[in-house]
Amino acid sequence: MPVPVMTVPGEQSESLSGAAVRAAGLRKTYGGGETAVHALAGVDVAFARGEFTAIMGPSGSGKSTLMHCLAGLDAATAGQVWLGDTELTSLRDDQLTALRRQRIGFVFQAFNLLPVLPARENIVLPMQLAGQRPDPVWFDDVVARLGLRERLGHRPHELSGGQQQRVAIARALLPRPDVVFADEPTGNLDSRSGAEVLGLLRSSVKETGQTVVMVTHDPSAAAYADRVVLLADGRLAGELTDPTAASVLDALRDLGA
Amino acid sequence: MRAVTLASIRAHLPRLIASTLAIVIAVGFVVATLVLNETSRATVLDAVGAPYVGADAVVTSDDGTGLDDELDRIAALDGVAAVDATWESGVQALLPGRTGQQYLLAESVADAPALRWQVVADGELPDAPGEIAVSERTGAAVGDTFPLTSFAPDGTERSSSVTVTGVVDLGGDPTSGIYGRVWGTAEQLRAWGAVDPTELRVAGADGVPAGDVVQQVGAALADRQVLVRTGTEQAEVEAARLTGDTMALTAVLLVFATVAVLVAGLVIANTFAVLLAQRTRELALLRCVGATARQVRRSVLGEAALTGLAASALGVLAGIGLAAGVSAVAEAADSPVPLSGLSVPLVAVVAGLAVGTATTLLAALAPARGATKVAPLAALRPVDPEPLRSRGGVLRLVLGLLLLVPGVLLMGVGVALADVLIALPGGALSFLGVVLLAQRAVPPVVGAVGRLAARLGGVPGRLAAGNATRNPRRTAATATALLIGVTLTTAMVVGAASTRATAQAGLAAQYPTDVIVQGDGTMPASLPGRLAEVDGVVAASSLTAATVTGPDGEETGVSGLDAATAAPVLRSTGDVPIPAAGEVVLPWWADSSWGIPAGGDVTFTAGGRTATLTALYGDVERPTLPVAELAALAPEAAVDTVWLRLADDADHTDVIDQVTDIAGAAMPFAFVTGMANERAAIDSVLDVLLLVVTGLLGVAVVIALIGVGNTLALSVVERRQENGLLRALGLTRTQLRGLLAWESALVAGVAALLGVLLGSFYGLVGVASVLGSYGELVLSMPWLQVGAIVLVATVAGLLASVLPARRAARTPPVAAIAG
Ligand SMILES: Nc1ncnc2c1ncn2[C@@H]1O[C@H](COP(=O)(O)OP(=O)(O)OP(=O)(O)O)[C@@H](O)[C@H]1O
Ligand SMILES: [Mg+2]
Repeated sequence: MPVPVMTVPGEQSESLSGAAVRAAGLRKTYGGGETAVHALAGVDVAFARGEFTAIMGPSGSGKSTLMHCLAGLDAATAGQVWLGDTELTSLRDDQLTALRRQRIGFVFQAFNLLPVLPARENIVLPMQLAGQRPDPVWFDDVVARLGLRERLGHRPHELSGGQQQRVAIARALLPRPDVVFADEPTGNLDSRSGAEVLGLLRSSVKETGQTVVMVTHDPSAAAYADRVVLLADGRLAGELTDPTAASVLDALRDLGA
Repeated sequence: MRAVTLASIRAHLPRLIASTLAIVIAVGFVVATLVLNETSRATVLDAVGAPYVGADAVVTSDDGTGLDDELDRIAALDGVAAVDATWESGVQALLPGRTGQQYLLAESVADAPALRWQVVADGELPDAPGEIAVSERTGAAVGDTFPLTSFAPDGTERSSSVTVTGVVDLGGDPTSGIYGRVWGTAEQLRAWGAVDPTELRVAGADGVPAGDVVQQVGAALADRQVLVRTGTEQAEVEAARLTGDTMALTAVLLVFATVAVLVAGLVIANTFAVLLAQRTRELALLRCVGATARQVRRSVLGEAALTGLAASALGVLAGIGLAAGVSAVAEAADSPVPLSGLSVPLVAVVAGLAVGTATTLLAALAPARGATKVAPLAALRPVDPEPLRSRGGVLRLVLGLLLLVPGVLLMGVGVALADVLIALPGGALSFLGVVLLAQRAVPPVVGAVGRLAARLGGVPGRLAAGNATRNPRRTAATATALLIGVTLTTAMVVGAASTRATAQAGLAAQYPTDVIVQGDGTMPASLPGRLAEVDGVVAASSLTAATVTGPDGEETGVSGLDAATAAPVLRSTGDVPIPAAGEVVLPWWADSSWGIPAGGDVTFTAGGRTATLTALYGDVERPTLPVAELAALAPEAAVDTVWLRLADDADHTDVIDQVTDIAGAAMPFAFVTGMANERAAIDSVLDVLLLVVTGLLGVAVVIALIGVGNTLALSVVERRQENGLLRALGLTRTQLRGLLAWESALVAGVAALLGVLLGSFYGLVGVASVLGSYGELVLSMPWLQVGAIVLVATVAGLLASVLPARRAARTPPVAAIAG
C-alpha cells in the first residue's frame, strides 16, 4: 500500500522518484491587497504511481485550484510541481501544452467533448495533436472496456451524459498518460452511471497501473479510491487510506463540512 | 424594460461598436457621395457663374441677333449703371512652345470695371486691340507675343500678332482644362469675326436691387424676344448645363452606395443574430421572470435603433471627413473634377442618419422575431442550432427559384437579342434569387472545401472545417455578404476585359495601322529609317507610290506594299488584305467605276509596260499591289507613305509627338494620322473606370470582410469553453490561431470562389447583351485578375481572423472548466 510522502519545499529526495505527481509549497493567490484570496496556502503533496487518489474538502477549499495547478492548466503563485522528473512551473506555454497532451489525461465534470467531432475523433484528438497514431490494439481494448464500440461514429449531442463521460475517460486513457486528473467526473450523472464511470477508473488503475487523481464531493465516490486527501482553506487537512463511504463521511464531518 | 435595454447596450457596447462598423462605412459612403455632389455643384456654380454674380441682370436671346442695338436703351435706364455686351469667337494660335496651331475660345472683356469678372493672376486685362489676356491652360505668360489666325464670317483667314498683357485664373471651372481661352477688347473680338453678342450683362446703379434692375430692363425690352434674368439665376442656369454629367455620376455612385448599404445590412443582421443567439439564455431568463414576448422584442429593437443611430452619426462624420479629404486632394492635384472647399447639404446628414438607422432596424427585425420566440424553458437547456430545413428555409428556396429561373431566362433572351434592357432586369432578378439560395448552397460547398482543408490543415484544419459548418445559417449569411461584393467586382472586371477586347478588335479591324506618315510628294530617303528608330515604334513599313493608267484609260495613283514589312505593322488584315504576288487590292470605288469583280483581272499600264493582276477588295485608298510589281511597272515609284506600329505599352502621345517633329522637320507638309491615340484613350478610359468601380465595390467587400471578422469574434466568445478544452487537451496557441485562420479562410475563400464564378457569368452576359449589337463580340476572361480577386478576398479573410484569433489564443485552459 503506497504511503503519502510529505516533503520540505525545494528538497530533492531519491525516495520521491516513485511519485507520479508531487507539489511542494504550492500557493495560489487570487487578487491582491485587502481582497486577496489564498485558494492554496502552501500545499505539499505527492501521488504515487498506480494509485487512485480522491481529493475532498468543503466547497471553496481549493480542490479544483490544486488540480489545475498540478495538471499544468493554471500557473501557481509560488511553489513547484513535478510530473515525474519534469518541473512544471518553469515550463513555457508551448512546453506545458505538449506535456498536457502527452502525459496528462483529463476528465471534467461537464463539457468534455468537442461538439463538432464524433466520439472516435474526440478520443484520438490529443494524440493527433501530438502527431501520434494510437496503437490500434490498445485503442480497441480501451473502447471495448468502456463499452463504446457502437458509439464511435456519434457526435456528443447524440450521446447520453454517462456515455459522454465514458468517451472522455477513453480519451484520457488512450495516450497512457503519467496521470489522469478528474474533477467531479460523476457530478452530473445519476448514481448508476456514476458507479459505472468510477468502476472504469478504478479498473484502469488496477489492471493497467494508471495513476488517477480525482476531485469529488461524494463520499461513496471517494470510497473507490485507494486514498483520500482532505483539503480545507487551501491547506492539507489530513488523509485516509482504504477509505469507505462511512470513514470519509466521518472525516469530512470533523472538518466541519 | 428600458433599464434592461440600456444595461444590455452598455454590457455589449464594445461588441456592438465593432459590429456596427459596417453601418459606419456604408453611411459614410452615402454621405460622402452626397456631400461631394453638392460640393462639386457649388464649385461649378462659383466658377461658371463668375461672369454673372457681379451682374444684376443678364439679357440673352435665342441667337443674339441685334442685342447690341439695345445697349444704349438699357444704359439710359434709371436703375442701370453700366451695360456690356459679351462677344465670342474662335481663333487659332501658335502658342509659345507648341509646334501646331491650337484652337482657342476668344471672349470680350467689359469696359466697365463693375462688369469685369475675370480674376487676374498676373498682369492686367487688355485695353486695346492687339492686346490679350489668356487662361492658364494656354501656357503663355505676360509679355509673350505670338501669331493668331482669325476667321471672318465668310471664312476668310486673317493673321495678326498679339501680345499677352495678363493671365486669368478660372478657378474650378470644369471647362478650363479642355481648351485655352483668350480675352480681348470688344473691338478686337469684332475684328476676330464675332457678329452678334452672346449676351448683355447689366450692372445696376448703387442701391437698386437686382430684381428691380431685371424688371426695368425687361420692361424696356418688352418688344423683343429676350430672356432677362438676375445674375444669380443665370449662374444657376449655366451651372446646371455643366453639372448634368456630374448628376449622372452621382446616380452611379449612389448605386454603389446602395450595394454597400445592402451588404452592411446583411452583416448587421448576421451580427445581431449571433449576438442574440448568445443571449438566448439571458432572454429566456427575462421571459422566466415575467417579461412578455412583446417586451423582449421591443427591448431588442430598441437596442438596434440606438446602436444604428449612433453608428449612423459616426458614419455621417466619417463621410463628411472623407469628402473633405477627397476635395482637398482634388484641389491640390488640380484635377479636372470641380471640387473646392466643402458644402455639406442638410439632406446628406438626414439621409445618412435615416438610411443607417433604418438599415440597422430592418436588419435586426428577423433576429428580434427569433428572439421573441425563445421559450422561457430555453434558459434551462442548451441551445440546439436551428435546423436548415425550417419553414423559412423552404420559403427562401421557393422564392429564390422563382426569382432565379425567370431571371436567367430573361438574361438568355437578352443575350440572344443583344438587348441589355432585357438582360438587366433578368440579371437583377436572378441575383436576388442567388442571394436567397446562397443560404442553402454555401454550407455544402464550405463542407466540401472543408474536407480538403481537413486533409491539408491537420487537426486545426479538421476542426475548422467542422466549425465552419456547425452553424450553416451563420456561415451562409457571412459568406453571402462577401459573395455579393465579390460577384459585382468580378462582373465589372470581366465585363471591362471583354469590352476592351471587343473595342480593340473592332478598332484594329477598322484602322489596322497605328500611325500613318504621309509626305507631300516623295519622302527624303532617310526619313523612313529615322521614323522606325523612334523609341516606342516596334515596326515600320514603307509604301511606294506611282501614277499609272488604269483599266478605264484614266490615270490613277497606286501604292506598292511590301508584304514582309507590312504584316507585322498591321493589327488586323481583315479589312486591309495584303496583296500576294500577282494580286492587287482595289478600293471599293473601283468596283463601280471599273466594274471589275473580286477575283477578276485588272490591267495597269505605264510607259508601255503592263501588269495584269487579280483583283481583291479592301479598305485602301488607292489600288495597292506588291512593291516589287509596282517597281517593275513603274521604276520611278518612290516612298511617299510610312506605316508605323507602336509598342502597346508606349506613351502614344509622346511617340506621335516625336514622329510629328521628325516628319515635320524633313517634310514641312507631312501629314501624321492614325489610331494609336484613340486606342490608348479607350484603354485609359477603361482602366480609370475599372479602377474607380473596383474601388467603390471594394467598400462593399471591406464591409463584408468586417462581417467575417465579426462573426468569428462572436464565435470565439461563444466557444470560450470549447477553446479552453482544446487548450487543456494540448492544442498550442499557434494551433488555435491556425484553427480560426482556417475557418475564416474557408468561409472567405468559398464566398470568393462562388462570387468569382457568378461574377464571371454576369460579366460575360452583360457584355454579350450590351455589345452584341455592335458587331463582332470578343469575350475575354482576365484569369489573372479573377485569380487575384479570390486570393485577395481569402487573404483578407485570413487577416480578418487575426484579432479574434488573438483573443481566442488568450483563452486559458482552465476556461474549459470555469466556463
Ligand atoms: N478566478 C478566481 N478569482 C478569484 N477567486 C477565485 C477564482 N477561482 C477560485 N477562486 C477562489 O479560490 C477558492 C478556491 O476555489 P476552488 O475552485 O479551488 O474551490 P473548490 O474546492 O473547487 O470548491 P467547489 O467544491 O465549490 O468546486 C475559492 O474561495 C474561490 O472563491
Ligand atoms: Mg471545484
